[in-house]
Amino acid sequence: MKMARVTPAYEGPPRRFGIRWTPRRQRTFWAYVFVSLPLLGLLLFFVGPIAFGLWVSLNDWNMVTPVTQMRWRGLDNYVYLLTRDPIFPRAMANTFAFAAGGVTVNVVLGLSLALLLNQSIRFKPLWRVLYFLPVMTAPLALAVLFGFLFNRNYGLVNDFLVSLGIARQPFLSHPDQALLVIIAIAIYQYVGYYIVIYLAGLQGIPKELYDAASVDGANAWQRLGYITLPLLKPVTLFVVVTNTIGALQVFDIVFATTGGGPANRTMTVVLYMYDTAFKFSRMGRASAMAFILFLIILIITLVQLRLLRDRTRG
Amino acid sequence: MTHTRTWTTIFSGLLLLAGFSFGQQTLNILTHWGEELHRGPMERMVATCEAEVGVSANVRTVPFGDLFTTIVTGRAAGIAPDIYHLYNLWLPEFTGEGGMLAAPPQEAIDHITAHVAPAVVEGISAGGQVWGYPTEVNTYLLIYNKRLLEEAGYDAPPSTWDELKEIAAAITQVDATGAVTQVGFGVLPGWDSGVVHPFASLLFSNAGEYLTEDMTATAFDSPEGIETLQLYADLLENGGMDMSVAGWELPNGIVGMVVMANWWRATLRASEAIDYDTEVGVAPVPVGPSGSQSMTLSYNWLWSVDASSASQDTAWEFLHCLNTEAEPGHGSPSGQFLVEALGAIPSFEYDQEAHAEALGDFFLQAFVDSTQFARPEPVVAGGQEVKTILQGEIESVLIGATDPATALRVAGVRGDDVLEEMQR
Repeated sequence: MKMARVTPAYEGPPRRFGIRWTPRRQRTFWAYVFVSLPLLGLLLFFVGPIAFGLWVSLNDWNMVTPVTQMRWRGLDNYVYLLTRDPIFPRAMANTFAFAAGGVTVNVVLGLSLALLLNQSIRFKPLWRVLYFLPVMTAPLALAVLFGFLFNRNYGLVNDFLVSLGIARQPFLSHPDQALLVIIAIAIYQYVGYYIVIYLAGLQGIPKELYDAASVDGANAWQRLGYITLPLLKPVTLFVVVTNTIGALQVFDIVFATTGGGPANRTMTVVLYMYDTAFKFSRMGRASAMAFILFLIILIITLVQLRLLRDRTRG
Repeated sequence: MTHTRTWTTIFSGLLLLAGFSFGQQTLNILTHWGEELHRGPMERMVATCEAEVGVSANVRTVPFGDLFTTIVTGRAAGIAPDIYHLYNLWLPEFTGEGGMLAAPPQEAIDHITAHVAPAVVEGISAGGQVWGYPTEVNTYLLIYNKRLLEEAGYDAPPSTWDELKEIAAAITQVDATGAVTQVGFGVLPGWDSGVVHPFASLLFSNAGEYLTEDMTATAFDSPEGIETLQLYADLLENGGMDMSVAGWELPNGIVGMVVMANWWRATLRASEAIDYDTEVGVAPVPVGPSGSQSMTLSYNWLWSVDASSASQDTAWEFLHCLNTEAEPGHGSPSGQFLVEALGAIPSFEYDQEAHAEALGDFFLQAFVDSTQFARPEPVVAGGQEVKTILQGEIESVLIGATDPATALRVAGVRGDDVLEEMQR
């Protein structure tokens, strides 16, 4: 007698916790497990502090009393900063001036020097290193160095001006010149970084385009205007956006050169935020400043992206 | 067998380590006395009381500019030290509702009030409570370079503001290229205490007030205050002062006069450009047109204990050791440190007596004498913010951006807002 082989009916993937664990579901499950760890970190160390900062901005807190004893202020901190504080608008204006000056010069100078360094010149690597060196230098060290260079009585800059027959200038102790000197320090420090970015962009432009343009009789300026600049627009977008974000958060150079003086003429938003938090123990007001600055940076960045991206596509 | 021996050795070692760590308590101390020349005397001071109390002390130092930030951030992060060295102006922020300082034991308060001048006790108190052991007392006087005065034709320092202006203008020199090579009078811009403390000393010497008597509003926006700030404007105009040469340059031999505190003595002694013994002079703050006598401002520092410290009793015991005499006539370890390392004036009378010879130095003696008439810096909630506001407005006058009356009116209005808000 021949026995029939009975194969048990296939019941599908195993069930656990009431879920049928298909291979696809298993993959999805483990994907979520692995993603959840960095997400948890993000929540804990990024979203959490931001939410706490927002909460603090609606309260009065001096960091000394327990968090549970904060005094609720609602929007008072925001209202005070936007309507009554005499220093905050000045700090905002200084910050915008710093950003506008710094970004403009960095774009123009960064691109110009990148174009020069992209030519067949001698010691090209040496020039690149020299321009990039300030990026590697600590801002505080640069600030001290420039403090000496721009000193009214024994600074090299003033000695040079005198040799040209120009009167000595107070620079860092002058209400109108101090911010300009700080912008110059920032440009000196960061232009090397933007040169490198522009160089990478320039080297990504196909040589054939220039060859074709030359065959068509285009001169150097025409090649620059019709090939180089249009094709560098994505790079310019990156330079403008990142430089603006960084410039609006300027702190270290101002802290080390003038401390916001003379008479708050070089006070910037982040430096004022620092003073408000750690000198006057007003964490609520300082947090409100942080959120106002965040909103401003967000709006400016969105506008820049919109303007430059549309032009790039066009 | 070998394994057993190895494990026994490791276990014994761990037990020994545990014995050490459990047997000796560690006190964490935070101070701004961290310069190289403070290190040796600081180690000797601490070692004396480590042995006496049977604890280990871990001293952490940060620059003065970072001390407040380190204190508040450390506390918020739950890593507060057991003992702080504090500037008394911060007391209202640290001792209000839910404050961070522990009140000293009654016997410590009794000891302090019995051996310290009432003005100092007032300086280290907030809300009617003494908050720790006072350390250095600082006042402001006119420090000058005798050689520069003599070269300008003056053999005595100024005693009035008119004389100050005249001598300052005579000292200032500008070379052919327009570089200011020496200046008569120096201010200390960019630092709130450096701007406001000398201003307040001059204001008091012109019969002016910094705050109202009940300390609820500013009082520097007065005719006397405007005269004080006008002095700066006059000095700028007659060339006696120049913003490109700060008062910090006096030890470099290019500033004639500056109103500065006694803690600067160590720097002056270390200077290679001027001879401390023969070239440094000290004189009372010159008297203004509305004043009748020289006055000055004083401020204090104190050792205090964190309210969240698990070793509060030991910390107070340690501080008691630091601030009391082991033997009569020898002074306390803290007093020894203050005089030896800083050239500062100790607060306790027995320290002043024990170090009478050192404090009799021509420089320190003048400051010790000035403590008799010095007026304590008002310790009030929001005091630091008012000070910074006033600094900004004084600097506005110094850079020619505004006039003295407007500057003080603006500072007064903003300062009053701060004080009113703090009271609420």
